[in-house]
Amino acid sequence: MLQAINLTKSYGAFTALNNLNLSVQAGDIFCLLGANGAGKSTTINLFLNFIEPTDGQATIDTLDVSQYPKKTKQLVSYIPENLRLYPNLTGLENLEFFCRLGGKRHSNDQLEELLTQSGLQADFIHKRVSHYSKGMRQKVGIALARARQAKVLLLDEPTSGLDPKASNEFSELLLDMKEKGVTTLMATHDLFRAKETGTHIGIMKEGVLIEQFASDEVSFQDLEKIYLQIMHVV
Amino acid sequence: MYQILTKQFIRSRSTVIVTLLILTLGIVSVLMGEQFLNKQQRAIDEAAHYQQEHIQQNAQWHADDLGLLLYYLRFTFINSFDPLTALSVGQRDVNSSIQRITIRGLEGQKYDTDLHNPTNLQVGNLDLGFVIIYLFPLLIIAFTYDLLSEEKEGGTWRLVSSQANSPLLYLGYKLSVRVGLVYAVWFLLWVFALLKLPLSLDTNALVFIGLSGLYLAFWLALCAWVVSWQRSSSFNALSLLSVWVVLAVLLPASLNSLLANLYPVPEALSTMVEQRDGYHEKWDVEKEVTMNGFFAEYPQYQKYPLPEEEFSWLWYYAMVHLGDAESRQSSEAMREKIRQREQASRIAAWLIPPLHIQLQFNDLAQSSLDNYLSFLDGTEEFHEKMRLYFYPKIFEEASVGKENWESFTPEYFAEAPEVNWGLALAPLLLFTVGLFLFAILNARKLKAFE
Repeated sequence: MLQAINLTKSYGAFTALNNLNLSVQAGDIFCLLGANGAGKSTTINLFLNFIEPTDGQATIDTLDVSQYPKKTKQLVSYIPENLRLYPNLTGLENLEFFCRLGGKRHSNDQLEELLTQSGLQADFIHKRVSHYSKGMRQKVGIALARARQAKVLLLDEPTSGLDPKASNEFSELLLDMKEKGVTTLMATHDLFRAKETGTHIGIMKEGVLIEQFASDEVSFQDLEKIYLQIMHVV
Repeated sequence: MYQILTKQFIRSRSTVIVTLLILTLGIVSVLMGEQFLNKQQRAIDEAAHYQQEHIQQNAQWHADDLGLLLYYLRFTFINSFDPLTALSVGQRDVNSSIQRITIRGLEGQKYDTDLHNPTNLQVGNLDLGFVIIYLFPLLIIAFTYDLLSEEKEGGTWRLVSSQANSPLLYLGYKLSVRVGLVYAVWFLLWVFALLKLPLSLDTNALVFIGLSGLYLAFWLALCAWVVSWQRSSSFNALSLLSVWVVLAVLLPASLNSLLANLYPVPEALSTMVEQRDGYHEKWDVEKEVTMNGFFAEYPQYQKYPLPEEEFSWLWYYAMVHLGDAESRQSSEAMREKIRQREQASRIAAWLIPPLHIQLQFNDLAQSSLDNYLSFLDGTEEFHEKMRLYFYPKIFEEASVGKENWESFTPEYFAEAPEVNWGLALAPLLLFTVGLFLFAILNARKLKAFE
C-alpha cells in the first residue's frame, strides 16, 4: 500500500533522507524509530507530498504522490505530533470542517458516533477545542481518519507528550483501525509503543533506514538493544 | 463549509469588537453628516430670513440715500448642496457655502467664512467618506493579515494541507467569509445612511456607493497580495499598516507639501494688499484718474455728472471698483495656481487610491475644491450682476422706496458634478485586478511546509 523507492531528500549539501526503500503492506502498522533528525518526519512529509523528493518515489496504492497529489490525498489521513484544531470550534465542528475540506459529508449523529468511537468523552463533543487536552485532540484526529475512511494513516510522533493512559488508548485505536484494514506509517520515539502496536519496525539514523523487521521477531529487550546499538555504533 | 468558517471567524472576540467599532463609527459619521446637513439647511433658512430683515431695517435707516444704503446692504449667494455632502463634507467644512456680499470691493469679501467654523474645528468632524477611506482599510487589514499565517502559526495548516483537495480554494473560502463580513458592515452603513439622510438613489449616489465598494475591493486585493507572500503574521500586519500609513497619510501629505512648493501662492497676500491699496490710495489721487479707469470698463456710466468738490457715490464706487480691478491679475493668478495644484493632485491621485477616492467623493458630493472655485466664479458673476443693477440707480439717486426690496431673496449657485466614469473607476479597477492576479500567482506556490 505504501512504498518508498530510492526515496531521497536533500537540502543543499545536507541529505535528510538517503535512498529509502520501504514497503508497507495493507493493514500493517509500520513504526519508524530513530533519534531527532533521523529522517522519520521527512519520510512522512514526502508521503504527504508536503515536500518534493530530490530523487526516488513515494507511492500510495501504487500512485506516485508527486504525480497524483489529489488522488493520493483522498486515501490518506494525517495526525501530526501535536494535532492543532480550530480553538473557536467544538470537536464536532472541527471534525465536520475537516471532513468537508476533504469533500466528505456526514450527519451530526454520525460525527458524534465517530468521536465517541474514537474515545472522546461525550460531554466534550460540543465543547470548544480550546478546552481539550492533547490526547483529546489526537482522538479527534483518529475520528477524522475514520470519517474520511482513510486507507492510510500517516502519523508523526502522535503519542509524544501523551500520558500513558492516553497513549495506550491511542494505540488501541490504531489496532482497531488495523483490524479494519487501515495501513499505518508512524514515526515515533517510543520503543515500547512501537513494539506493542507495530507489525513492522524500522530504525533510522542520519537519513538512512538501517534496520527493519517484523515486530514479533524481536522481544522488547532485543528491540531496545538493537536500537541502542544502532544509535551508538553505526 | 461557509457556515463553519463563519462560525470560526465570528466567534473570535477581536472580530466582534472591531466590527462593532467600525459599525458604531459609521453610524456616528452618518449622524454627524445629518447634523451637518441640518446645520447647512438652517443656515440657509436663516440667511433668507435675515436678508429680508436686514434689507428692511437698512432701507428704513437710509431711506433717503440709495448709495449709502447699498454701502451696507448684503446680498446672499448660496452654494447649493447635495445631500451627498453629508457623506463627504470636504471643502464645505472649511470654506463657506454662504456668501453675504455688498456691492463694494469683492476681493476682501470672498474668503469670509461663516461663524460655525470655529465650533467645528474644535470638536472635529467625521463623515462616512472618512470611515470608508481611512477606517475600513484598517478593518480589512485586521480581518485578513493572518489569513494564512494564523494557520501556519497555529499549526492547523499542515492538517488543512493534508485534507483539503485544494488548499488555495480553502483560502479563497476563508477570504470570502471575511469579504462577506466587510461588505455586510459596508452595506448596513449604506442602508442606515439611506434611511437617515435625504439621499436619492440617483446616478451620483450610485457612483458614490459603487466607488466605495470598489475601494474596499482594492484594499482586499492588497491584503490578499501581502498574505500571498506567505510570511508571518507580524510581518503581514506591519507591512499592511505601513502601506496604510504611506497611502493614507504620508503620500497625500507629501504631495500637498510638494505642490505647495511647486505652485507657491504669494498672490494670496498681494491680492489683498493690491485690493486695499487700490481702493484706499484713490482717496489721494485725482478724481479724474480714478474715473478714467472706471469709465474705461463701464463707458455707459460716463453720462452721469461727477461733482468736483464734494463726495459722490459715483466716485466712491469707482474707487472700490478699481481696488478689485487692480488686484484682478493677482487674484486670477492665485486662482490659476490653485487650479494647477488641484489638477496635479488629481493626476498624482491615480497612484494613491485613498486620495483618488477622496477627490471623487468630494466631486460627487459637490464639496471639492473645484466646486468651491466655481462657486467663487459664480460669486463674482453675482456680485457683478448686483453692481450693474444698482450702479445706475445709485448714480441717478433713485428713490429707496421705489425699489421692490422683497424681491431680493438669496440666490443659489448650482453645479452638476460631471463624473468621468472611466477616470473615476480605472485606477482602482486596475490596481484591484492587478493585485488579485499577483496574489493568485503567488498563492499557487502555496507551501504546506516551510
